[in-house]
Amino acid sequence: MMRSVIWAQFAKDRRVPLFLILLIAGSVLATVIFTGGANSPSSFAIYSEEANADQIEKKWEKLLNTDDSLQFSIADSAQVKEDLEKGNIDSAVKLMENDYKIITSDEITDVSYMQQHVHSVFQREAEISAITDLEGNELTREDVEKYLQAGPVQMEKVGLNNEEMTDYNMRTQLMFAFTLLIAIFILGFRVNNVTHDKVSGVWDRMILAPISKTKMYTGYILYSFFISMFQIVAVLLLFKYVLKYDLGNQFWLIILVSALFVFSMISIAMLITGFVKTPEQFYAIYPSIIPLIPLISGSYMMPGTISNPILLFVADLFPMAHAMDAIMNVIFYDAGLADITMSLLVMLLIGIVGMGLGINLVERRSR
Amino acid sequence: MLETVDLSKSFKGNKAVQNVNLYLDQGESVGLLGPNGAGKSTTISMMSTLLKPTSGEIKLNGANTLGKPDELRKVLGVVPQEIALYQELSAYENLRFFGSIYNLKGQKLEKRIQDALEMVGLKDRQKGIVKTFSGGMKRRINIAAALLHEPEILILDEPTVGIDPQSRNHILETVKNLNKEKGTTILYTSHYMEEVEQLCDRLYIMDHGAVIAAGTKLELLSILSSEDTNKVELNHLDESFIQEVKDMEGISKVEASNLQLKIIAKKGSNLISNLVHLAEKHHVQIVNFHTETPSLEDVFLHLTGRTLRD
Repeated sequence: MMRSVIWAQFAKDRRVPLFLILLIAGSVLATVIFTGGANSPSSFAIYSEEANADQIEKKWEKLLNTDDSLQFSIADSAQVKEDLEKGNIDSAVKLMENDYKIITSDEITDVSYMQQHVHSVFQREAEISAITDLEGNELTREDVEKYLQAGPVQMEKVGLNNEEMTDYNMRTQLMFAFTLLIAIFILGFRVNNVTHDKVSGVWDRMILAPISKTKMYTGYILYSFFISMFQIVAVLLLFKYVLKYDLGNQFWLIILVSALFVFSMISIAMLITGFVKTPEQFYAIYPSIIPLIPLISGSYMMPGTISNPILLFVADLFPMAHAMDAIMNVIFYDAGLADITMSLLVMLLIGIVGMGLGINLVERRSR
Repeated sequence: MLETVDLSKSFKGNKAVQNVNLYLDQGESVGLLGPNGAGKSTTISMMSTLLKPTSGEIKLNGANTLGKPDELRKVLGVVPQEIALYQELSAYENLRFFGSIYNLKGQKLEKRIQDALEMVGLKDRQKGIVKTFSGGMKRRINIAAALLHEPEILILDEPTVGIDPQSRNHILETVKNLNKEKGTTILYTSHYMEEVEQLCDRLYIMDHGAVIAAGTKLELLSILSSEDTNKVELNHLDESFIQEVKDMEGISKVEASNLQLKIIAKKGSNLISNLVHLAEKHHVQIVNFHTETPSLEDVFLHLTGRTLRD
């Protein structure tokens, strides 16, 4: 009988599949638009207006192009300014002998990442220059670089399993942020079918039938779970195999994290369902709250960007922060099941508490 | 077969239903009549186990069903006032779903679906999507969905609201057939007097949450057996004339609409001569006068002081 409930939900979606298709396409498109498509580096123009512009540009072009996800190319200063004014490019770097200026028309994620990179390159160069310029110092630049490469304290980056680590990639993080955000919308609107069916009277018909309430709720929850997991897996497979995103070597673990994330978000959607009387109220409240979750959770920003303890506490109440943390650890630091157990348990806890409260509230409304 | 004893329901201190006692015998067709807000839907929600009463009992074959509704649900079919169907699915898919939650499968389910569609006259439209159906067709599928498990008792909550006369007749015919041919016990709620008169053996009249009268049509009409319903057409309406008519001896109700007065008066109250005198006094001309046999509508007016559709 529970299968009948799942079948009815599926039959409705099959009859009107456009909503689901649009949401899935939307998550892929959002990732492609905000991260520049396939895993290609973000390009930025560099230029100088100093007297020895050529020399400065060539020097910094070589030093800046050391990150695979960022590409810096020399451009004509007049052309860069015109492109910035017309909105053809979002940002560029104006170079000076020992300084730089970032000129940007939009605070997009790529710019903040680029800014961090440019800053670190200039800082390193300043340190090297400071050492080599010391009066009476016989060290050459080459000596300093050699010394830095083989210094007395060496830092080696390895994954949690002592394997080579993938460099942190903001595009991959954004791809997951968008995919999980769309999953939240899909599962929420499916959980809202409970309120739909209550208002239409279908729920009462089911209560009069021999099907138990446990089976009724399980049917709705399982359908929301399956349809959201379908979206996540479809999008991840597309990015992994078609757009060649590096998702690490533990795809199954990413799916496990996603599954727990979907379960815990279904619980939160059920909790919201418990507070509303009509599906229309849910449509008004849910989309107003949901986009805030990835924002608070820092899913669109470099890790560590959000440091406010209150925001961090609020973010911890939602599964998004835990899911993103676990997934990024799996992909970039090669974390195994044991390493992400805490994140999984927290999501499970949020799921169980949310589901318990949510169903209780929905039932109270019925009395 | 099914009985309520002192059934009451309050919502936040407001009494929606008070001490309702009614019963349905096997194979009977019973009407529950009352204006909007009379408490009919609350009463049948409690009788169909969807709403917990504040006090009172609901008995099936003498056994209280409160707290153990499964036995009652097995024999009960409920046609709700709203269209409780998946609008995106076809009529057939809806019936397949509602049949399957009653544990019906395979050939048995298929036969029940086709029988129900035949009963409501929509067999040839079974592949049609419900949201494309007319209001009347949706209501017929709404009824079909309640028939799949072949209930012994069928409760219909205003099943003809807002539909065309053709569909309405079809629904009334379906309910009549279910009662007469299949022996299904019917509880039919409506605020259309003529539907209840046509379908039901016995009636309960509800108002302000309470049953104010009960019995067969004849028993209810006998409430007015000592009175006549008179219709008087005048050339113009005069307020002082109407007031004096109301004050006349033997008059129990006066209703004025357009140029007509509906007067319920005791038999032998010398109404005509008194009216003529009054008309002369107020310079009002009586254009037409006739006496009607009282209807259930008149009984309702007599009991509640208002019409069913007020």
